[in-house]
Amino acid sequence: MQASQTVLERRYAALGLLLIAPTVLVFCAVIVYPLVSAIYLSLFSIFTPTLQGEWVGLDNYRTLLAKDEFWSSLVNNLIWTVGTLTLQILLGVGMALVLHQNIWFRSLARSLILFPYFISTVVAVLVWKWLFNDLYGILNHLMLAVGMIDMPVDYLGTMPNAMISVILVGAWKFFPFVVIAVLARLQTIPDALYEAARIDGAGPIARFFDVTLPQLRDVLVVIIMLRAIWDFKEFDMIYLLTGGGPITSTQTLPLLVYKEAFALNQMGMAAAYAVVMMLIMLVFMIVYIRRTRQEADT
Amino acid sequence: MAAVNFDKVVKSFGAFTAVHGLDLAIDEGEFVSLLGPSGCGKTTTLRMLAGLEFPTSGEISIGDRVVNDLAPGERDIAMVFQSYALYPHMTVAQNIAYPLKKRGVPKSERGAMVQKTAELLQLTELLSRKPRQLSGGQQQRVALGRALVRDPKVFLLDEPLSNLDAKLRGYMRVELVELHRRLGRTMVYVTHDQLEAMTMSDRIAVMEGGRLQQFAPPTEVYRAPANRFVAGFIGTPAMNLIDGEIRQSGGTWQFHAPGLTLDCPPLLDSARPGPACLGIRPEGVVFGSGPIEGVVQVVEQTGHENIVVARIGADMRLTGRVGAERVWQAGETVRCGIDIDRAHIFAAGAAGERLNRPGLRPVEAPAVIKAAR
Ligand SMILES: Nc1ncnc2c1ncn2[C@@H]1O[C@H](COP(=O)(O)OP(=O)(O)OP(=O)(O)O)[C@@H](O)[C@H]1O
Ligand SMILES: [Mg+2]
Repeated sequence: MQASQTVLERRYAALGLLLIAPTVLVFCAVIVYPLVSAIYLSLFSIFTPTLQGEWVGLDNYRTLLAKDEFWSSLVNNLIWTVGTLTLQILLGVGMALVLHQNIWFRSLARSLILFPYFISTVVAVLVWKWLFNDLYGILNHLMLAVGMIDMPVDYLGTMPNAMISVILVGAWKFFPFVVIAVLARLQTIPDALYEAARIDGAGPIARFFDVTLPQLRDVLVVIIMLRAIWDFKEFDMIYLLTGGGPITSTQTLPLLVYKEAFALNQMGMAAAYAVVMMLIMLVFMIVYIRRTRQEADT
Repeated sequence: MAAVNFDKVVKSFGAFTAVHGLDLAIDEGEFVSLLGPSGCGKTTTLRMLAGLEFPTSGEISIGDRVVNDLAPGERDIAMVFQSYALYPHMTVAQNIAYPLKKRGVPKSERGAMVQKTAELLQLTELLSRKPRQLSGGQQQRVALGRALVRDPKVFLLDEPLSNLDAKLRGYMRVELVELHRRLGRTMVYVTHDQLEAMTMSDRIAVMEGGRLQQFAPPTEVYRAPANRFVAGFIGTPAMNLIDGEIRQSGGTWQFHAPGLTLDCPPLLDSARPGPACLGIRPEGVVFGSGPIEGVVQVVEQTGHENIVVARIGADMRLTGRVGAERVWQAGETVRCGIDIDRAHIFAAGAAGERLNRPGLRPVEAPAVIKAAR
């Protein structure tokens, strides 16, 4: 009995290996290999067009940590991530609460809300650049018309306007993700909880804080972790909108990596930046993983 | 002054009317069950009383106050939900304290009140647990605790025992009755389980199709059902209902059905000759002797008694409750009779009203009644 069981167990184990093998191979090819090679590259001084270079050990890292541009980009990166994420969460949760109500245009609104998330970044940025344009932009036009300003505002070319604009566009582009995730959770909260709270004498605000929010907590942690990681490494939207400018005032680490690799042709240096970025994101990831593990335990 | 009063309350959901002109006056301190089959409007009625649903028309009052325009939190009620609806992220103690907190009871007093309620419901050991770490029966007690910690005018309970296993249900039934006796509070209890309603209530409101069928103490509902629906709904095994006709010859009334002629029990003055229905509970059927001949079809042995179903004539069946001493065999020919003093006559139709005078002879209450008290 014991023996046949172990044979069976071994057969299951073999089958299990067979089934996960393709995933593991693909995972190695697209994640482990680039990762290892990025770390490897970061130890060389490499000229991008030829990919030739010499071993410099940890020199790239030493240079990087001493550079003002690295620190200012990191600060920009944090301002951008915290700013846009906060707005995404506030906007997303608020909109989800509105869409959860029984309003007559609910199903239409639920589909429309996804629009910014689905639209291609290039298209979205082009549209926003026109909206922001200081000569022809509708934003300036409207604000002039109602008398809020008497000179056109330069939204993307001065600070802090450029950072604020980038953060706002980012919030606009990505808040639908929050709406969808929160809405899905809202729909699973039993009505009886709200009814019990009403009978217990809780008003609408108390019901939000005592019933809704605690139920949203788990999903919000996941959303914040995921979006923090995604926003932290956001490249195309910022690059297309400001290119990191004016000068380097909206330059985040991904933009810096790109600049090092393809404008300054320093592939080794770029790899070093990328590895440092990865280490920073590792912190987010560890928090996220510990969090999900905690959930699985309880 | 009624503790709870429904005055011509109607509730419609769009074109569908769930409650039709309900009139119901519940006395102070009474334990009243709303009993009826699924979909008869019990929950809707309770939810209107709680303020979770708004009546389409009619007035609901609690005490001397019309509550139609009061929010649930302003009605001074407490409710136990079928799903318990405990706040999952709060501990048992926090759950029980929540209604106090929302009503501005100072923190210093809350602790003692929670403690007292927990002792009453034997929850003291569980106070720091979360609801998901509790069994169904324990969750149910917490839900009760959240209702009991305050001293509301009315307790509302919507099938609070339906998620429990049979044994725990029996236990909680006794507990609830005991609790009601101790607190002396008005309780409105929704159930589709007649045993619960019979054993716990001071009065039962039997509902069907959104209409109140009868509102009376359990013994009366059992012994003098107001109409054919109540007669058929209350009692297990169900009352035998035999369709036939009543005729008047001379001064006496007789009930006729194929193969069956009986003198009627004393009828009301409103009785008219014509189609009617005779109702007789299984304990009013005599097996072994009598004017009717039948064939035993099914015998159910429950240990202390036998339930015997006999076929009479072509398509009539008679269920009897007989002692366990005599063993009956399927296929056996049997003579049976009907104890006419225990028979009921109803007008024709599914909800035909009662035509005979109730309760001329004291009938001993069936065993289930008040078993828990
Ligand atoms: N929100 C609603 N919208 C439409 N119809 C409803 C609604 N709530 C209840 N009903 C209908 O009203 C009727 C009574 O419902 P109710 O929930 O009061 O039944 P019940 O007696 O409690 O039944 P059960 O024993 O199954 O709980 C049902 O036919 C139900 O379909
Ligand atoms: Mg119900």
